[in-house]
Amino acid sequence: MTLLQIEDLKVHFPVRTGRFGGGKGTVRAVDGVSLSIDARETLALVGESGCGKSTLGNAVLGLAPVTAGTIQFDGQDLGTLSTAARKRLWRDMQVVFQDPVSALNPRRSIASSIAEPLIIHGWSGSIPDRVTELMELVGLNADQRTRRPQALSGGQRQRVVIARALALNPRLIICDEPVSALDVSIQSQILNLLMRLQAELDLSYLFISHDLSVVRHIADRVAVMYLGTVVEDGPASAVFSDPVHPYTQALMSAIPLPDPSRRDRGDRVLLQGDLPSPLDPPSGCPFRTRCPLAEPRCAETRPALTPQGPGHRAACLVQDRNPGGPPA
Amino acid sequence: MSLLDLSDLAIQAGELSLVDGVTLDVHPGEIVALVGESGSGKSLTALSIVDLLGEGLRVTRGSRRFDGADLTPKRLRKLRGQDIAMIFQEPVSSLNPLMPVGAQVAESLIVHGTASESEAQSAAIDMLRRVGIPDPDRRATQLPAELSGGMCQRVMIAAALISRPRLLIADEPTTALDVTIQAQILSLIRDLTREQGTAVLLITHDMGVVAEMADRVCVMYGGRVVEQGAVHDLFAAPRHPYTDMLLRTMPRPDDPPKEPLFAIKGSVPGPRDWPSGCRFRSRCPRADAACTERPPLQGDGHRAACFHPMRPT
Repeated sequence: MTLLQIEDLKVHFPVRTGRFGGGKGTVRAVDGVSLSIDARETLALVGESGCGKSTLGNAVLGLAPVTAGTIQFDGQDLGTLSTAARKRLWRDMQVVFQDPVSALNPRRSIASSIAEPLIIHGWSGSIPDRVTELMELVGLNADQRTRRPQALSGGQRQRVVIARALALNPRLIICDEPVSALDVSIQSQILNLLMRLQAELDLSYLFISHDLSVVRHIADRVAVMYLGTVVEDGPASAVFSDPVHPYTQALMSAIPLPDPSRRDRGDRVLLQGDLPSPLDPPSGCPFRTRCPLAEPRCAETRPALTPQGPGHRAACLVQDRNPGGPPA
Repeated sequence: MSLLDLSDLAIQAGELSLVDGVTLDVHPGEIVALVGESGSGKSLTALSIVDLLGEGLRVTRGSRRFDGADLTPKRLRKLRGQDIAMIFQEPVSSLNPLMPVGAQVAESLIVHGTASESEAQSAAIDMLRRVGIPDPDRRATQLPAELSGGMCQRVMIAAALISRPRLLIADEPTTALDVTIQAQILSLIRDLTREQGTAVLLITHDMGVVAEMADRVCVMYGGRVVEQGAVHDLFAAPRHPYTDMLLRTMPRPDDPPKEPLFAIKGSVPGPRDWPSGCRFRSRCPRADAACTERPPLQGDGHRAACFHPMRPT
């Protein structure tokens, strides 16, 4: 069953340009993205900074303005709902951000932070009991309830943030780089917690991350973003073992492997140059300015996502395995 | 003979011990990775080499030698920016925002009097080209804010390498960058230092970066070196339980997806909470009564500070 359905979503921001701010421009942070997440599924959104992955998550949460397109949650179009109906729906959708330090109020006890959504949304049962239950669920000791965030380690703080996100029994959690700010020896604890909670509570995750080793482990499906568009998506196993788009291939081969005997592997694709400005994206394929396989025709038409295998799509004219076939 | 020699180095903030007895050497042309988590003391160790410890921090014990002689403040003034160069994690905040990047690259040549202003400027443009900045003549006149993060990091590398230093200290040089840019920058550091015979002390928390770059590795935990050795030995057969577990927590391509990952229990203790004896013992499954004593770094070449190593030393 589809829980979240995003159709042709665009999030554009007007900006002033030039040294003195005299010009006007539009940042096309998300520029025509269609994605869906099933119940109990983890969809990972990967890409480099500035590709629009966090903006996409924010748009789903109502934290970034939708310029065009629709976002449907459980069959309801978020754009047409009344404010009261949206507020009810937000119980079903929660978020865990990267930095647990700035996500928690330093002057509140952790119990009070976890209780806040329960108070706002009028929890019907006993709030202290629910806080205790949540703390135990995420592996925190209930004796720590009166402590302030600064008395906890980074991993424990992220557990508090997760407990707060779980307070209202959500169905979808948007995890925006949830382990990037944590020490390496702590990351696997939090990833294991997220995987256990998903199984126990039937959660869906939109998992936004730049860490591909983590994504390979935790995701059911992966969508690769570049300059505001999805260039490839599909089952995690297919995208990782058999990437079609040259950008995905470069991204995969850039992952540093913890194995010194493979450092000189010859299959590495080193990209030249930097991400173009989203203010002035290249014509045609957004990746063509850095693509080792680009041809003249790539400047002319923007490639659409086309089927490459079961559930696997990519937007590349050169690497398309099914040229001339119907668009996905 | 080693180029850089740290012996029994200790750093304190007041009475609080932050680095406790680090011994480490770097040979000419070699890349040595200093790896550890936050609070392990890896960055302080590196900063102490160039005398850039912040206020309130001081070296309380041990020696720092470069090219066979002690690193006195007077000697460092001559060496810094010439024989010893440094690059940091945040390229944007490490560059002067009001100075054209070309002039920043040229600066060390002018300050050390090795070139005239115009020679230095053309050397800077040449160096910017070598680090892969397109259109270097124009870019040299721009301010850091007009360049991307990846380009600013190239500028910093150009500024560090223009004087052909003998030692480059790189503190998390790619942590703020994206993976495809990280791969470019790492290969640039590797190629340029190899070409110039520069030794590199690479500070990182990322075992993937270590495996890509290092000849030798020095693992720190709780202000001490817990294991050091050649990169292939250390990855193939780690001896200290911390190194072993750190490598096992990393998701690997051949792991079954969605299965629980190996996790080290507990959290990284701060310097106020370090246990006596072995500082990893509060999280170590092999710890016993013996570990309340401080384990010495033992072994020949590949060394570990553990009474119950994974493999005999």
